[in-house]
Amino acid sequence: MRPFRFDVARSVEDAVHRPAPGLAYLAGGTTLVDLMKLEVANPAAVLDINRLPLRGIRSDGPGLRIGALERMSAVAGHPAVTSGYPLLAEALRHSASPQVRNMASIGGNLLQRTRCGYFRDVRTGCNKRVPGSGCPAIEGENRTHAVLGTSDTCVATHPSDLAVALVALDATVLVHGAGGRRALPIADLYLLPGSTPDQETALRPGELITEVTVPALPAGTRSTYLKIRDRQSYEFALCSAAVALRMRGRVVREVRVAAGGVGTRPWRLPAVEDALTGRAPRPDVVAAAAAHAVDGARPLSQNRFKVLLLQRTITRAVLSLVDGRG
Amino acid sequence: MADSPLGRPVNRVDGRRKVTGTAAYAADQHPDRMVHGHLLVSDVGHGTIRSMDTAAARSAPGVLAVFTPFEPLALAAGAGQNWVPLQDTLVRYHGQVIGIVVADTFEQARDAAALVRTDYDETPPAASFAAGIPTATVPTGGWEPPVVDILADGVTSIDEALAASPVVVSGNYSQPSKHHNAMEPHATVADWRDGGLVVHGGTQAPAGHARSIAAALRLDPAQVRVLSPYVGGGFGNKATTWADAVVTAAAARAVGRPVKTVLTRPQTFTVTGHRSAVAQAIALGADHDGTLIALKHDAWSSLSGSGSVFESAPGTTSRMLYRTANLHVGQKVVTLDVPPSTFMRAPGEESGSFALECAMDELATALRMDPVALRLKNYATVLPGRNVPWSSKHLDECYRVGASRFGWARRRATPSAVAEGDWWVGMGMATAVYPANRFPTSVRVRLLADGTAAVSTASADLGTGMWTVLAQLGADRLGIAMDRVRPELGDSALPANFGAFGSASTAGVAPALRDAAAAAVRSLTEIAVSDERSVLHGADPAGVEYRAGALHAGGRSVTFGALLTATGHPAVEATASGGPGGPPAEYAFHSFGAHFCEVRVNRWTAELRLSRITTVVDAGTIVNPKTARNQIEGGMLFGVGQALFEGAQVEPNGRIANANLADYLIPVNADVPPMDVHFLDHPDTVFNPAGVRGVGEIGTVGVAAAIANAVFNATGRRVRDLPITVEKLL
Ligand SMILES: Cc1cc2nc3c(=O)[nH]c(=O)nc-3n(C[C@H](O)[C@H](O)[C@H](O)COP(=O)(O)OP(=O)(O)OC[C@H]3O[C@@H](n4cnc5c(N)ncnc54)[C@H](O)[C@@H]3O)c2cc1C
Repeated sequence: MRPFRFDVARSVEDAVHRPAPGLAYLAGGTTLVDLMKLEVANPAAVLDINRLPLRGIRSDGPGLRIGALERMSAVAGHPAVTSGYPLLAEALRHSASPQVRNMASIGGNLLQRTRCGYFRDVRTGCNKRVPGSGCPAIEGENRTHAVLGTSDTCVATHPSDLAVALVALDATVLVHGAGGRRALPIADLYLLPGSTPDQETALRPGELITEVTVPALPAGTRSTYLKIRDRQSYEFALCSAAVALRMRGRVVREVRVAAGGVGTRPWRLPAVEDALTGRAPRPDVVAAAAAHAVDGARPLSQNRFKVLLLQRTITRAVLSLVDGRG
Repeated sequence: MADSPLGRPVNRVDGRRKVTGTAAYAADQHPDRMVHGHLLVSDVGHGTIRSMDTAAARSAPGVLAVFTPFEPLALAAGAGQNWVPLQDTLVRYHGQVIGIVVADTFEQARDAAALVRTDYDETPPAASFAAGIPTATVPTGGWEPPVVDILADGVTSIDEALAASPVVVSGNYSQPSKHHNAMEPHATVADWRDGGLVVHGGTQAPAGHARSIAAALRLDPAQVRVLSPYVGGGFGNKATTWADAVVTAAAARAVGRPVKTVLTRPQTFTVTGHRSAVAQAIALGADHDGTLIALKHDAWSSLSGSGSVFESAPGTTSRMLYRTANLHVGQKVVTLDVPPSTFMRAPGEESGSFALECAMDELATALRMDPVALRLKNYATVLPGRNVPWSSKHLDECYRVGASRFGWARRRATPSAVAEGDWWVGMGMATAVYPANRFPTSVRVRLLADGTAAVSTASADLGTGMWTVLAQLGADRLGIAMDRVRPELGDSALPANFGAFGSASTAGVAPALRDAAAAAVRSLTEIAVSDERSVLHGADPAGVEYRAGALHAGGRSVTFGALLTATGHPAVEATASGGPGGPPAEYAFHSFGAHFCEVRVNRWTAELRLSRITTVVDAGTIVNPKTARNQIEGGMLFGVGQALFEGAQVEPNGRIANANLADYLIPVNADVPPMDVHFLDHPDTVFNPAGVRGVGEIGTVGVAAAIANAVFNATGRRVRDLPITVEKLL
């Protein structure tokens, strides 16, 4: 860890008007402090935003509003979330550990950094950490890496479970910067790595996430978040599927599918949704639709299995909603 | 008379101290004027250090000193690896100790360490186990003969015996190298005082640790005292003194202040030891009725060029577990430029049992025979080759009791025959075996005038329960309540003890304590009959009986406390030693067990869940069923890690890609199924008068095979390469 300046923000305006370069906002600190200890993040100044009024979980007619500083555990256990947005509650409950969830905020969760071991080890190259220093994962340990959205410079997986659920739910992120406020569809928040993997989001320097809004799911929608991981707790996804499904009679009226653990950003799967909509979701139909999930997949030496695992994960998640088995 | 606590599920005497945080571990010590050390380790896998720029580190806040091969500390051989730290510029492996920064605070030392710039002349390391197999050699060290061939009359080779077998199965098994990851990282607080050195350090062997440190610092062994009352897990990796301890002690001498060094988690992967990677080839030949005709088991284990221990996989398992007309075991080592390889819980048995017990399952499948019946069919009653019986062996009872507790009869032999919803359900079993060891052990029993007793030995309690067992054994021998017995361990100044490993502590302590207690009572009797202030003065010593903390003769009696008080003696004490026990020529000594395991595998996503495990253990007298169960369960957890999670990812340049607890997976509670542990509790009085063998390691042996066999039963997939991750079942 390098020496840094520490301040507490008094208001949102105060926070966003501080000089941005070298400044890091501190929410729960479960990503930031970790990366500072590893010297992956070396901010010159750390600004504690925990006293800002970015709290509250409110469910009104059009949807759900979550303050950026709400803790993962508070959101996961909130009645409006568990009843109206089960996939959101499940995605949070299957993240990290109770201790981490008690500290970690919703805004911080969306901006957590990849778990790629090369990104986290300053003794190795990493284009995301030091542009131009290379990507050892492409030839190295890449079992947990992405198969979708990768580039020749970066194959790191986006780690957030919450973001996958929010992408399926068409959530919007409200941000506040020196130039004012704006709303960003969550799908637009995350950038593909391309040739600039160090640029991960569409946020401008110093922009603060203040709130996340989630449109209500139509009545009769069932949803789930299925997370496949190497152990049963305290572990990131090898592959996950966020699915929301509404039937009309025996056919699918509307379905939303997003995947985690497989993409360089949370991955919405419109091709799978299209292949299911209007069809009776028999296992063979679902499996055939799920095959579209891996259109364009680029597996690496150790993660070829994710191509199959993703299809199976989606199939199992969809069928669990059809059968009502959960 | 106090009822003997022996055999009772007594709570840990140190339990309250541990859960309230008052048990002070090595890193909890902070002597006056203490400063902090942070190790520097190499960033390349092999080569020489050209230069180290330490200027920025030296001028960083709080820094007292930086030691490197260019500004070395005075050290001699003594620590675990076969080279002396900081004495040359050679880099033998990635993550090797190449220096230490000493500063006022931990953070200052760590941050200054990050400022040191090191330049190397790199040469490619031999770090890949798979690539090294063609270079394998027959080991010269090791505690098992590397090659054993026992052939029936007229048979000239094991291959001939296999070729003549009506049914043959064979397979290649493999598993990566593994790291102990004790919760407590290695920590040293070195404090020079009064011309001597006091070292606080979590160790399995306080006396051995003191000797090694003394040798490395060229001190008289009597000048070094190691204190290690609490150890946060060892698993074999705190049996040896590693570079961190001697570098810290030398740095403390150089700066003239106490120094504390606590390894970071990544450093524990490379500064200390690990378990070999192992590849195995096994072939079994049998008659149609299941009788084994030939057993051929070869293994290749990685061995660090820095020393010194490798997995003796066949020598510890196939060598003795079954009756077979023809037997071949062979062991080779692949010497690599990797961190030191060392003992890790059930070293040899852990890997060997995976191959042997899976191969037995494969044979049972090929023969359409029940796996338990196959094992009973080939039950060994004498040690192959030596033809001596075991001192006490009830493995057959383990199988039968285990099968009935588990409900083995409900198992369907055909894979994927049972499903619950989308989950296939499978059952598997395997045998456990571990040698009964006894190492040189001295115990002192001291009876005090206040009516209490102290029982002391320089052993360690690394979570094993030794504090408690020592108090129980003392209370039992002295016939007094446990709360009147003060156990003492974790101090190299106490009566010599080889250390806590080889599952041998209780078996070594119990007989020595018995002798020491008897000798102390003899001294007490001597005082009782000869001192005229004693109520038993003048009694015939032969007629004096010690019972329940008191001496009795001719209708009179006196407690030892009252006697010592009356006669003005603060205490009487005696020390006794026991050595390796039993007549080895006439018997073989092992503990045995059987595991039965049920798994579920999802038919879509191939996730594997353990649903339950039953384990039955034959380990002689169980002194404390509670701490013993804890040991077996912990051992089983190690087996779960072996089966499902653990493995170092060693890159071609020698870097361990997952040297942290986020990426090196060990089981979490959610992965651990209900464990049904049952002890047979048959005393092994041939092995020692207390009838005790050991329980520290046997719980691990065979668990991975039981799981892999259950996975086969659930899915029809035979996974021979550990860990069993989702892609192997998809
Ligand atoms: C052991 C462990 C296991 C984990 N497992 C999982 C898992 O299974 N699934 C999963 O999804 N996550 C997992 N996580 C990640 C965890 O969810 C994130 O670390 C956490 O959500 C980050 O939130 P925080 O409030 O602590 O963020 P911080 O660490 O405070 O901040 C993270 C980043 O976001 C920035 N930031 C924070 N808040 C704002 C804001 N309002 N506006 C703009 N910028 C902001 C910070 O400057 C920083 O760059 C795990 C973490 C740990 C340590």
